[in-house]
Amino acid sequence: MDINIVVIDDNQKMQEDSLIWSLEDRFGKGNVHFFLTPKDGLVFIKENLQKNIIVLLDINFPEDQIDGHKALEEITGMSKLIPVILWSAIDENKEKFSDFINNHAFGFISKTATIEEAIQIIDKAVKFLEFSIDNVIEDWIIDKNEDKDKPVYITSDGSSYSLNDILREIRQQSEVGKEFTKKFNELTIDLIIRNKENLNE
Amino acid sequence: MGNKNQDDYIKFNFDVSAYRLLGRELITDRITALFEIVKNSYDANSNVVSISFIDPNPKSEDSKIIIKDDGLGMTFNDLKNRWMVIGTSSKRRERTSPEPYNRKVVGKKGIGRFAVDLLGSKLTLKTKKKGSDQWIYLETDWSVYQRLEAEQLTIPFEEEKEFFTDIKNRYWFEDGEKDEQGTILKIEKVNNDWTEYDISRATKELSKLVSPNAKLTKYPFSIRIHSPFPNYQNVTIKPLSIIDYATKSIKLSFDKQQKLQEIVIHDKGELKKTNVPRRKFGLVDFTLYYFDQTAKRKFKREFNLDIDGIKIYRDGIITTPFAEHEANQLKQKDILGIDKRRYSGFFDKINSRDLLGFIELSDEENPNLIETTNRQDFLNNEEWKELKLFVIEQIEQIEKCLKYEREHVRETTKSDLTKADSGLKSIKKNLSAITKSASPEIKKQLRTVEADLNKLQGTVNKSIKDYAKLEQDSKQKESLFFSLVSLQTYASMFSHMTKHTIGHIIRDAEYFKNHFPNDKLVDRFKSISKRIFGEMNTLRQGIDFMLKYAQSDDNIEDINVQELLQNLFGNIYSELFKREGIETSVEIDKKLELRYNRKALEDIFDNLISNSIKALRGVSNKKIKCSGVVSNDKLTLYFSDNGIGILEEDKYRIFDIFFTRTAEEGGAGIGLYMVKTRIEAMNGSIEVVENEFKPNGATFEIVLPFEK
Repeated sequence: MDINIVVIDDNQKMQEDSLIWSLEDRFGKGNVHFFLTPKDGLVFIKENLQKNIIVLLDINFPEDQIDGHKALEEITGMSKLIPVILWSAIDENKEKFSDFINNHAFGFISKTATIEEAIQIIDKAVKFLEFSIDNVIEDWIIDKNEDKDKPVYITSDGSSYSLNDILREIRQQSEVGKEFTKKFNELTIDLIIRNKENLNE
Repeated sequence: MGNKNQDDYIKFNFDVSAYRLLGRELITDRITALFEIVKNSYDANSNVVSISFIDPNPKSEDSKIIIKDDGLGMTFNDLKNRWMVIGTSSKRRERTSPEPYNRKVVGKKGIGRFAVDLLGSKLTLKTKKKGSDQWIYLETDWSVYQRLEAEQLTIPFEEEKEFFTDIKNRYWFEDGEKDEQGTILKIEKVNNDWTEYDISRATKELSKLVSPNAKLTKYPFSIRIHSPFPNYQNVTIKPLSIIDYATKSIKLSFDKQQKLQEIVIHDKGELKKTNVPRRKFGLVDFTLYYFDQTAKRKFKREFNLDIDGIKIYRDGIITTPFAEHEANQLKQKDILGIDKRRYSGFFDKINSRDLLGFIELSDEENPNLIETTNRQDFLNNEEWKELKLFVIEQIEQIEKCLKYEREHVRETTKSDLTKADSGLKSIKKNLSAITKSASPEIKKQLRTVEADLNKLQGTVNKSIKDYAKLEQDSKQKESLFFSLVSLQTYASMFSHMTKHTIGHIIRDAEYFKNHFPNDKLVDRFKSISKRIFGEMNTLRQGIDFMLKYAQSDDNIEDINVQELLQNLFGNIYSELFKREGIETSVEIDKKLELRYNRKALEDIFDNLISNSIKALRGVSNKKIKCSGVVSNDKLTLYFSDNGIGILEEDKYRIFDIFFTRTAEEGGAGIGLYMVKTRIEAMNGSIEVVENEFKPNGATFEIVLPFEK
């Protein structure tokens, strides 16, 4: 599974930080993207919603730009599938809990963290992505390519969607995509409760 | 009135959480509730809204609040599909009210109806659109909703309980004239007493909705209050006449034909108006009042209102970021950035608690100043930035004026005391002349007068001494305060900087530890060692600076400024200038000795020079020039280079601690901060002025006052 790391930090020095190198070593040089302004980072994320993205987001930015809190809100607004890790020199305890409660920040890394400490949290985000529904569908398609274009989901207005279509809709976080995710989860629970399916198999 | 010809019910289409969230939790006090209701009337193109308090104090079964407007009113369909439903899609919200008024909508959609609940629990709404021949009446008993809300939150949950959407609200129709329109809210079962004091508060708060200079408006909006209290029997809400209370006031207008904007500029204790070409944000009217402590007390006593900063109005009505009544001053937003200014001196800075102001926009003149959709701010475009800059500039002119006045008062007191002293001396001289030729009887009396005079002179002399001591003390206190304040800023910035620095170093060391040796990573190892060195250097500079703070400034001596500069430029730095290929010149027109700490003065120029050297990297024909003009009581120095210059947007923050654009060349962002604090400790000032070397470069103007 290809993972893209998006780092948004106004500190130019950070671009060459050992942490960035370590991330490049791990995820591939072309998969680590560094942006000096939230604006540029947001544009990239918006254009690459179909990819697996983990964001490392600084909180303090110059006054003429939006700050990390706002940027987080905008990313969450775009897609709930993107883990956003806050990355700041501010004391974690002083951070607004609203970032975690309302906007589901995935984690927090201090600017003084070692590479190892940072990677631990980023690994958690990787796990989160691996288990997310879109990636499960993608794995399925890769595994059983013949299922890719079969119509499997028909909406109330009669449009039909293949697994491939659904994957796209979920990653774009369209209404159809969200609706499918919800129904899919409900269906699973329903099946388990009625003993129609045995997850241990 | 007409007959009730129908009797039926409709139901609200929302649940208990919406009711709690939108109503109770957004509208926390009665004044806010009135605010919201009145804003809705404005959005409905009303010309007049009247608020009548019937039997307000003490409250009784007969107490009522009636809010009546002549706005567009609602059809039955509006009532059913809008009033009873909470809008969810933000796209459905209209930004302007219907033609021909086209008002910028100020109300928060869907909030007004819950505001009613805070005033009283029974509402009879009466509404009609022009052209219809029937008034619609709708009765809502909020107490039923409240009861249900309480019930729903109790256990057991499983029990069948009524839902909000099940509650019936009775409606009926009555005949009306075709031409009539408007909405009338009759609120009964009033929650609280409304004393005269409460009503006066409401009146004053509501007055903030309407601009004090609403001259431009084509469709004016007025609010009336009716109550049994003699002072509030029939009052049209008018903006407060603040001008009588303010210590300073500025009223700026513009010339539409010539496209000129009025501004004020401080000149020797006066704020003088002048015209400048139209700025990017368009032409505005701007009224600004400054209050000193005494004026603030008086104002509060008179109006019982807080002085709460500058507000922006458009076409006569408050713009949405300012339209929410916030009782808690600490929670008020500082969207103009008045209180954020760090670069202004501690003692000379005024903040929004000292200011009341009104910026008047119009749709025609300022189309690009746009409120954000969440109604909390303005879009951060060039025009908005420019407007903020304009406001801050004007505040700074007041600050300069106040500073001048303070110094002036100090001078006058001093010279008055000296005059008193010499006056007494001449009286004594005259007296002794008279005594010589006086009779023994009178002589005796004159002696007592002389003795009294001597005592008086003693007092005056003591006052002069005390005053001098006081001045000294307050200067010391000021500088102590100043160093404490800047130390506090410094400490917080320092820890921020160390966190970054330590982070870089720790990860670099970790990377090295984990990967060395590795032939493929040699370049990275090189970078790492270079970087650790650089970061350690930054740390060291920060610590050195802190140590300098700790050193006392008690070595004060007479310093010849010319010699000091010549020594710096001609000796200490001459090698470096040669190596860098920089041509320098020092021009001071007179010999001048300043009494100050030599190290501090040298520090200032040390930093300015090293700053210029960095700015000159990669420039050809490098120049640094320092020239000085000595006037009566101050030395003005211009320090210029023809380097890369300073970006317009950096002009103010360039003196901020740890702000740097030269991180690559090892800049830590301490130098110019140090320069500024040093100069301010000398009661001087430094700013970036137009660059002397064109087309590129930077010029700092440094003013150092001295006593002859």
